[in-house]
Amino acid sequence: MSVLADIADAVERHEQFVDRQAERARKNPAFRRELLRRWNKSLKRVGTASTPTGLRLPRVALPVTDEPGEIARFLFGEGPPGDFPFVNGAYRELYLDGSASSKARAAKGRAAAGEEPTRLFAGLGLAEDTNERFHFLTRQQRSVRLSTAFDGPTLYGLDSDEDGVFGKIGEGGVAIDTIDDMQRLYDGFPLDDPHFSVSMTINAPAPVILAMYVASAKRRMGPRALARLRGTTQADIFKEVQAQNEIVFPLHASLRFLGDMIAFTTEHMPRWYPISISGYHIAEAGATPVQQAAFTLSNGFAYVELLRRRGLDVDRFGPRLSFFLDCGLDIEYSVLARVCRKLWAIGMRDAFGAHERAQLFKLHTQTSGRSLIAQEFKNNATRTAIELMLAYINATNSCHSNSADEPFTTPGEEYVRLAAHAQAILLEETGLFKTMMNAFSGGPGMKIVEREVQKGILAEFREIDRLGGVIEAIEHRYQRSQIQAAAHAYERQINDGTRPIVGLNRYSNAAPGLPEVKVVRTPRAKKRLQGERLREFKRRHKKHSERALDELSAIVESGGNVFAELIRTVEHCSLGQITGRLQELVGRYRPTV
Amino acid sequence: MAEPIRILTAVPICDGHDSAILTINTEFIRHGIEVIYLGYHRPARDIVRAAVQEEVRAIGISSYNGGHVEFFSEVLALLRKENAKHIGLFGGGGGTITKADAAIMQRRGVDRIFFAGTPFEEMIRFVKESYGRGSARAARSREQVLHRFARKGLGVQTHGPALVIGVAGPGGTGKTTLIDELVLRFLRSDLRKRIAILSHDPSVVGKGALLGDRAAMIYSQDDRVFMHSLATRGAVGGLSATTEPWLRSLKHAGFDIVFVETVGIGQEAMPFARSLADCRVLVMSPEYGSRLQLQKIVMLDTADIVVLNKADAAGARTARSEVGQRLDLNAREQKLVATIASQHGDPGVDELFCLLEKMRKEKLLSDIGT
Repeated sequence: MSVLADIADAVERHEQFVDRQAERARKNPAFRRELLRRWNKSLKRVGTASTPTGLRLPRVALPVTDEPGEIARFLFGEGPPGDFPFVNGAYRELYLDGSASSKARAAKGRAAAGEEPTRLFAGLGLAEDTNERFHFLTRQQRSVRLSTAFDGPTLYGLDSDEDGVFGKIGEGGVAIDTIDDMQRLYDGFPLDDPHFSVSMTINAPAPVILAMYVASAKRRMGPRALARLRGTTQADIFKEVQAQNEIVFPLHASLRFLGDMIAFTTEHMPRWYPISISGYHIAEAGATPVQQAAFTLSNGFAYVELLRRRGLDVDRFGPRLSFFLDCGLDIEYSVLARVCRKLWAIGMRDAFGAHERAQLFKLHTQTSGRSLIAQEFKNNATRTAIELMLAYINATNSCHSNSADEPFTTPGEEYVRLAAHAQAILLEETGLFKTMMNAFSGGPGMKIVEREVQKGILAEFREIDRLGGVIEAIEHRYQRSQIQAAAHAYERQINDGTRPIVGLNRYSNAAPGLPEVKVVRTPRAKKRLQGERLREFKRRHKKHSERALDELSAIVESGGNVFAELIRTVEHCSLGQITGRLQELVGRYRPTV
Repeated sequence: MAEPIRILTAVPICDGHDSAILTINTEFIRHGIEVIYLGYHRPARDIVRAAVQEEVRAIGISSYNGGHVEFFSEVLALLRKENAKHIGLFGGGGGTITKADAAIMQRRGVDRIFFAGTPFEEMIRFVKESYGRGSARAARSREQVLHRFARKGLGVQTHGPALVIGVAGPGGTGKTTLIDELVLRFLRSDLRKRIAILSHDPSVVGKGALLGDRAAMIYSQDDRVFMHSLATRGAVGGLSATTEPWLRSLKHAGFDIVFVETVGIGQEAMPFARSLADCRVLVMSPEYGSRLQLQKIVMLDTADIVVLNKADAAGARTARSEVGQRLDLNAREQKLVATIASQHGDPGVDELFCLLEKMRKEKLLSDIGT
């Protein structure tokens, strides 16, 4: 038994509660009066705005009804944006002209930049190359929300001089071996500025990489900068074991290092989001939308259980958990985030007694990489645009739009710019979101799909619960086998044409037309330079590295906080040296087939 | 019936994208191909070592994380170094491998790069035509494969035949993990030790098979370890028709230890004749069912060592005493060891290692004595 069955029960109880409220609203005059008073307050709270053509519209769309049962159903079952159970949004306002975020967008210069929802992923070559791309992107976007991709060796905790990884250096992300690389990566950015934030897509080695970031910020801004650092580390180990396969240490050791890191950030870095619970990779590995949502939510609840068992307070760490979902083209994506917000809020409130701030499912969305194909790749811009639309209909808090050239390369500048502009066109140029934030939410079709998706997710919760919980299900390879079966079905559907893909199995060009495009690659000279820098670092720190590793070992063995020690270790040791030592102590991850 | 084609598939180092290859493996198997799957995040040297030891007709690599030109070139260079140019190489990477890259790779010796959207049928046809019986590539015999391994200058110890350890037990009890953990201990205990593993996976006559034990092995990817996977091809009892000849060859090929792992088997008799294995290990988990079920496990009577793995699972204490009682009744001095093979540095596995190491030394002494 795990907490998941309790959560599924709580969701079902909530549905019954909503039914009862609707019934009472119809039959009990006193209750109805009170309800209508609350309803009128909600309606009045909504301001209005004018469209460029002169229409006057409410900024938030609420149901047009005076039927008390329906009103109760909406207020208790969905809630206006920002109200429990947050089906319509985690916050009262999003995307609107005149809201905090859009003022920031309109303002000139970096100093005034705020929370615009666009966050673009970048990482290529060596640290200075990515740094240059970051400066280029933020000039374009008037935003200082950086998102960092790391190369393969870094993602697997290996050094660039490891045997056999040379070709992978700086491909698909930036190569980081040492704290010196980390210094170069964010050079020129005000790490402790309240308007600056950085996101790092790093998982198994996340504690080491974040330790490098923290040590680097301390060097530049002094020890007091810690409390002001804003950003996110992905650090989601469960989805690595279930889908993405970038895992270095055995599961339980990985969870311990992660727990140490979260305990530290909760205490000393209150503005940091230490973990981004990710469905993206689960979906990219082949999961259906329901599986994506079910596995992501259940992973999230499993982290909450683990952290509570460590003695951390759910009301303190809960608000620092965030989520990351994929948005593809299947119809489930028209509602997926709406259902997730609701189930998370009910689970956190009813199973963990969390207060409201810890009930929010704060969401970053990325459009689906798997939906993009190499053939007639410019069609990918259309696919991404539709996915963006779905993501914003789902009231995502931030979004990354993929570049059309992604099926074959690290995105080139031309397509990165197009992808960023797609978001600006949707939010700024079109009138779809800026005067009324949720014009497309809550139609009857959406409600029907929501009901089916929720049913599917709860069934998954109960299945995982029957296996004993998330960790036990992982040990039974449950999530992996489900994802693989779905991936196989998807490929077969493409192969036999029952899943149409334009340019691939429909309307395809007679001549097999693969694009001739400029591919971004890291030159060999740069790869060699990375190796030279690393060797120079190791030489320079030769005297201290062994002792630093021994001190780290002592902490691992005594059960102390490994993350706190890593902030010291990274001053003298490379990522690969640290990974190697930790693997000696806790073993290596054994893949399951 | 024609012998199935054997190929090896893998995903390169620093790459965890296994979704495509798993689907393709399934399609290959459905069409009668035996696939030895090495898993993801595998360096070129592991891939080539495995391909040579397994004597496959070809290697298929699925690469999605970039660096493929270098990686495929490294594989080709290592194949040349191993004098194994008869092993083919093909691959794919969705859209990440451009036409220009593919041209370079094929010029360097890659047989074929598949692009996104290639129908499964085309890949299967390619494998059958290029690596099937009619293809010109000559395969090596068992003796040639072993001879090459023995020749690799590792300072072969002068000693008698290897200690052959037969490992049997139901599926899912952790036999592969246990062997891998024992290999780690043997390798560390003596830098000259060499180990062979003969592993089995089930298959039906004339059909394909997934031979996946290597993918779950992390410490056995080592130059001092020789591993060969066999599909049962319809044989019953957890072994294959070629197990015996392989064992005879392995026993005298300079190894200290030879592990033979059966496919998962339950209530049958122990598949190893006394003449085949010096030590017969039955691996079970606490999930064998009732006490009555336990009575039916014939292997409990013939095993030299019974390993109760997953000793942290619910019911492990009950299982330990029930199995212990059963062994006491046999009164044969059979050993019972409780292990948690999935746990790093498990003391139970250490105990098992010491038992086996003691047996190896005793055998060595008695071989010298005779």
